[in-house]
Amino acid sequence: MKLLSLPERLGLVSYRNQAKSEIKPHIIVDTDICNSTCPHKCTTWVCPANCYTMDEAGKVHFQVEDCIECGTCMYACDQGAVDWNFPDPEIGRGVTWNFG
Amino acid sequence: MEDKFDCIVIGGGVAGLAAAMTLARNNMKFLLIEKGEFPGSKNVSGGVLWGSDLNKLVPNYWEEEDGGWDRFINHRRLTFMDEQSSFSLDFKSSHFNEKPYTGVVVLRSKFDNWLAGKVQEAIDASDFAMDSFIATDIKVDEVIMENDKAVGIRTGEDEFFADSVIIAEGVNNLLTRQVGLQDKYVPADHMLTGIKEIIRFDQKVLEDRFQLNGLSGMSNEFVGWATNGIEGGGFLYTNRDTISLGLVLGLKDLREKKQKPYDVLNHFKQHPTIADAIKGGEVVEYSAHVVSSGDSRVMPKELYKDGILLVGEAANLLMNAGKAIQGMDYAMRSGILAAETIVEAKAKNDYTSATLKEYRKKMDDSYVMKDIKGFQDAVHLLHTDVMQNKVPNLVCDFGRQFFSIKNEPTPKSEKMLLGAIKRHSSLWELAKLGFKARKSL
Repeated sequence: MKLLSLPERLGLVSYRNQAKSEIKPHIIVDTDICNSTCPHKCTTWVCPANCYTMDEAGKVHFQVEDCIECGTCMYACDQGAVDWNFPDPEIGRGVTWNFG
Repeated sequence: MEDKFDCIVIGGGVAGLAAAMTLARNNMKFLLIEKGEFPGSKNVSGGVLWGSDLNKLVPNYWEEEDGGWDRFINHRRLTFMDEQSSFSLDFKSSHFNEKPYTGVVVLRSKFDNWLAGKVQEAIDASDFAMDSFIATDIKVDEVIMENDKAVGIRTGEDEFFADSVIIAEGVNNLLTRQVGLQDKYVPADHMLTGIKEIIRFDQKVLEDRFQLNGLSGMSNEFVGWATNGIEGGGFLYTNRDTISLGLVLGLKDLREKKQKPYDVLNHFKQHPTIADAIKGGEVVEYSAHVVSSGDSRVMPKELYKDGILLVGEAANLLMNAGKAIQGMDYAMRSGILAAETIVEAKAKNDYTSATLKEYRKKMDDSYVMKDIKGFQDAVHLLHTDVMQNKVPNLVCDFGRQFFSIKNEPTPKSEKMLLGAIKRHSSLWELAKLGFKARKSL
């Protein structure tokens, strides 16, 4: 069986409010903390949806669009950089699982 | 205040729905609030619902042609893995075909929604058919506290009031933290990330491959090579025409070992045993969710306070002590017991801790807290390097020798075993493990 890449896997996820171009992010990340004092930048590998990425200069970037609301970053970040919440049903993103 | 509810239940998962069902059956006026499009739409489990409490909530649920559950478990397997091999403890029995079943595999988007339909039927049959509601697409922003007692909830500009609040929000328990029952930051130490694929087959192919008969199903847990050195384990459960294949990975270990969970899942899928099991399947969903480990050190300080009860994973009621991953059954029982306590509180017209502490007592007297307390050592043991790596490697090494038939003189099994022990561990280490296991299991 062919192994799937992460983009292929996320392509199977049903996200909410896909039609809306403007969404309200449900997670706010203070990347200034990631890029100054954080000793590990672990969200760039523990996140199952790769919402946290590191550029060539080693700087952490965050995007909420692919978030599947798992909660991993809320626990993994011990630096106080992740302000985690659930998405707003009307103007947030987040998931609707088909199987769950 | 006429609009006031007896109870507001936050969250339409197994715990919240079990509470709601019990409230409806006892003619209570309540509001269940779910943030998703429908109950179950944001919920993820492995998952097997163990035990027979479902039969209490929905009597004779198996008689329904297409109920919310997928398959009942009559075949269980625990597999130790090394790179090439798998060595299993395998138990199948027609004893488990008897009803009520002792475990059913569920997919939460379907199961929770089905269970919510049953709750709605119970509401319709209650005295508050027009006054109790299941409301979806609403996110609770805050539990409203007055003099440190819960009096309702706020969502955006709207407020709803009640004599009591049952928090069934799941493991990402923001409201539990807001009301002060859990620390604002919970460290990763005893939390895990579950990651899963749903893989679809032709139903006949699936039934033949896993030797399923009618609606019978199999649950298989994996320990060892599956997790690529990360503390945790793997699972494979058979649904109607899909399987749930996934891993549960220690969050602290993932952080320290710098591994991506989806890479570890692909690693697992490449094991020869798994590759053969999933051949020809099509991945139809990828999901992930945090799950607690059952280590009581991270659990909320208390299960209640004035006007508030905590149920299910919001209270970290989940445990894997080696025999099974139990969470949904704990959710169900805690939901039932919480609702029963609210019924008593209404009769006494006292929703303070003086009455609600009875919930704690009911929980302590139940199998949930007895097991969580009684098997803490097993939880710790399961997460040691010996159990996670050395034992699986040793067992597979021994298996490879024991089942190899060569055209040369065969050494005695004891010699094979001693060799395997020396290569992967030591007699002393295993003696210690055996001693601990005897006490903890």
